[in-house]
Amino acid sequence: MNAKMVGILFASANETKLNELTLHRTTASLPFAGRYRLIDFALSCLVNSGVTRIGIIARNNYSSLMDHIRMGRDWDLNRKNGGISVFPPFVLNTSREVYKGKIEALYTVLDYLKRAPEDYVCMANCNVAANIKLDDVLDEHIARDADVTILCHKASVNSSKRVIIEKDASDKITDLSALEIPTDRERLVSLNIYIAKKDYLISKVEQSYARGYVDFEKDILFKDVEGGKLYARELDGYAAIIDDVKTYYNESMKVLDTAVREELFGSMSKIYTKVKDSVPTMYRSGAKVSNSLIADGCTINGTVENSILFRNVRIEEGAEVKNCIIMENGIVMRGGKIRYTITDKQVVIGAGRQISGSETYPIVIVKNKIV
Amino acid sequence: MRVKKECVAMLLAGGQGTRLGVLTQKVAKPAVPFGGKYRIIDFTLSNTINSGIDTIGILTQYQPFDLNQYIGNGQPWDLDRLEGGAFVLPPYQKAKSGEWYKGTANAIYQNIDFVDRYDADYVLILSGDHIYKMDYSDMLAHHIEKGADCTIAVLNVPIEEASRFGIMNAKEDGEIYEFEEKPKHPKSTKASMGIYIFTWAKLKAYLIADEADKSSHNDFGKNIIPNMLKAGEKMYTYDFKGYWKDVGTISSLWEANMDVLDPNSGINLEDPDWKIYARNMAEPPHYVGEHALIKNSVITEGCEVDGEIVNSIIFRGAHVERGTVIHDSIVMPDSVIKAGAVVEHAIIGWEAVVSEGAKVGKKQSAAEGGEWKIAVVAPESVIRAGSVVAAGEMTGEEGK
Repeated sequence: MNAKMVGILFASANETKLNELTLHRTTASLPFAGRYRLIDFALSCLVNSGVTRIGIIARNNYSSLMDHIRMGRDWDLNRKNGGISVFPPFVLNTSREVYKGKIEALYTVLDYLKRAPEDYVCMANCNVAANIKLDDVLDEHIARDADVTILCHKASVNSSKRVIIEKDASDKITDLSALEIPTDRERLVSLNIYIAKKDYLISKVEQSYARGYVDFEKDILFKDVEGGKLYARELDGYAAIIDDVKTYYNESMKVLDTAVREELFGSMSKIYTKVKDSVPTMYRSGAKVSNSLIADGCTINGTVENSILFRNVRIEEGAEVKNCIIMENGIVMRGGKIRYTITDKQVVIGAGRQISGSETYPIVIVKNKIV
Repeated sequence: MRVKKECVAMLLAGGQGTRLGVLTQKVAKPAVPFGGKYRIIDFTLSNTINSGIDTIGILTQYQPFDLNQYIGNGQPWDLDRLEGGAFVLPPYQKAKSGEWYKGTANAIYQNIDFVDRYDADYVLILSGDHIYKMDYSDMLAHHIEKGADCTIAVLNVPIEEASRFGIMNAKEDGEIYEFEEKPKHPKSTKASMGIYIFTWAKLKAYLIADEADKSSHNDFGKNIIPNMLKAGEKMYTYDFKGYWKDVGTISSLWEANMDVLDPNSGINLEDPDWKIYARNMAEPPHYVGEHALIKNSVITEGCEVDGEIVNSIIFRGAHVERGTVIHDSIVMPDSVIKAGAVVEHAIIGWEAVVSEGAKVGKKQSAAEGGEWKIAVVAPESVIRAGSVVAAGEMTGEEGK
C-alpha cells in the first residue's frame, strides 16, 4: 500500500441556508448536475487522486447518504484495506450531546485517524462541486513541508461565513478571516478543502478539544497563521461552493456552459456516482429541447429550455419547462408550465398548472409534493 | 463441497457473427452495442438473473477480450455471487488434449466439469445474440411439470417466414415428434429460439456419445436434438409470447434498434420488474445544445448533441455537432458526427468519425425483399470530409 493520504468528509456542513433542499438530506446527498449527489465530487476527486481510505462524518438526516454510498463500490471503494467508513452521530459520553463543531467531530474519529497508516489527511465539506487533482496538491504540500494547505479560489463573496485568505508571493498564508458581510469584490475564498499533516491535525484536535474549542477554522487555523506553516493553493478551474438556494441554482445553471462541463467531466478523472440502471432518455414527437442537461431515463414530449432534468423525469405533451431544475422522478403533466423553479424528487406538476419563480429568487417545491 | 444449484445456465457467446461484417471484426457478436446503452448480451444476462438463476457459464472463443472485460466479475448484473455468479469459459488445455470449441455441443461437452461442480439437475442453454425478455424459471417449471428430458422454447412465426428457422413439429400437448432445420415446406410455425433446457444427466450422456462420433458436427441443432428425438426421449416445446428478435444481420440489428423507439413494439425496456442491466461507464447526463431538434429518438448519457436527430438512437458518449442531420440511424458509443454531415438509414460504429459534410446512407421508405439497405461505417474509422457512403455500403476498417 502506497497511499499517502486518508480522506475525511463532513457530510453535514452549511445546511442551514439550503432550507427545503436539505429538509430530508445532508448537504452531501444534495442532487447536482442531473445525476450526481454533491458528495460524488469529493469522493471522486479523492479516489482519482489515489486515496482509498475515506471516513464520512454524518450528523443528521443521513439515511439518504447511507443509501447512496452503500459499500462504496460505485467509487471503487469496496476495499479490503481502507474503503469507506461512515461515522454516524456519536454522542460523547462527557457532553451527552451530539458534537457541535468540526473539532468535536474530528475528536470522535481520532482513533480512526491514528490507526490509518497514511501520513496526510484531506478534509473537505461536501458542498463543493469541482474536479480537483488532489494528488498534485499533496505533492506540493509535502514539498513545502506545510502543516495545512487550504484550497481556495478567486470569487466575489456573495454569501457570508466564507473564509477569506491573504497570502504572500510564496503562497504562505498571512491572514485568515471570516467575512460576515457579502461583497462583490473578488477575494481569495477558502473551499473548505484542506490537506494536513496527520500528526499536526491529531495534536491540534486533542489540544483544542481539551480546552472546549469547537470551531476548526476559528480555533485552530486562524490562531495558527503566525506559528504554523499554513499555505494556500489557488485553483483556477471551475469550483462551485453551494451553501444556499441561490448558489445552488446559479451553480447548477453554470453546468449548461460547455466550458464548465468540460472542466467538471471532460478529463480522464471521472466523476462517479451510484449506478441506477435507468434506460436511455426517449424523445417523443412533441419534444422541443434546447440548452439543457438531461439524465437517462427521461421521457420528453414537451418543451424544455435552459433546464436540468435528473433521472426518470417525464415531460408530457404541451408542457413547458424553462430555466428549471427537475429532480429525479419529477413529472410535468400535459400543458403544465414552469419557470425558474427547483422541484425536489418525485414532485408532480399537474396538468395545466403554472408556476413561476424569478432568476434571483427561484421557487423550491419540496420532495413528494403534488401541485 | 459447493452449494448445489438446481439449474445452471450456459451461454454460447463464441460465435463470430460474420453477417454483421465490420461490427464483429474485433468483437464477438454478443458484445455489439444495442439500444443506446446496452450490449446484445445484456438481455440474456439480465433475463438469467431476473429468472432467479445466478450461475452462468459464458462460453467465449472468438475475439474474447472485449466481452471478457465487459462481463468482468458480473457485478452490473448482480452476478458477483459468493457461490455461483458469472464465469467466462474459454477453451482450455487439458491434461491430454486441448482444442477449440468445435461446435455448440462440443463447447458444453468441454465444460461438463463446470456444470457437475454445482451438481445441477438442469442446464439452460442460451445464445447471446437475441433481443428478448423471458422468464426462464417459468420454462424450467414447465420442463419439470412435463417430466421432459429436453424443452425447447418456440415462437410462432408467420408461415411464409417459417422456412428460415428450425421448425418443431409437435403434438397438441407440445411433445415434439419431428425437427426440421429450415424446411422448404414447413408443417408448423413453431420456430426454435435456440433456448433449451435439458435434464443434465440425459444431456451429459448424449454429449459424451456425440463426442465419440467422429462424423458429428458437435452441434445442438444438427446432432444432439435429432439424436435425442430418434432415441425417443421426452422432448417438449415451450411457447414463448412476446418480443424476440435475432439480430444476426445488419438489417435485423437496425430494425431491432428502431423497435426501441416504437412504444408498441413490445420491447419495453422500462419495466421496473424486469430491468435490463448494463455495465455503466460513469458519464455525465447528456447535453442538448441550442440548435438541436430531436424527435422520436433515444439519447444516452455522455452525449453532446446540437443537430437534427429524428428516429435515431444516439449511444453513450457520442457527439453530434451543429448543422448535422441524422435520420433513421444508429450512432454507436463515442462516435463523432461533424458539422454538416448527413446520416440516413445508417449504422455508425463506435469511436468512428463522420467528418464535415460527409453523406452516409440514403433515406428509404421500405425494406426491399425484407432487407433494408443500411450503410455501415466501421468502428474506429474515419469518413473523410465531403465523401459519400452509399446506401447498403459497408466501409472498411481504414475508412474511405
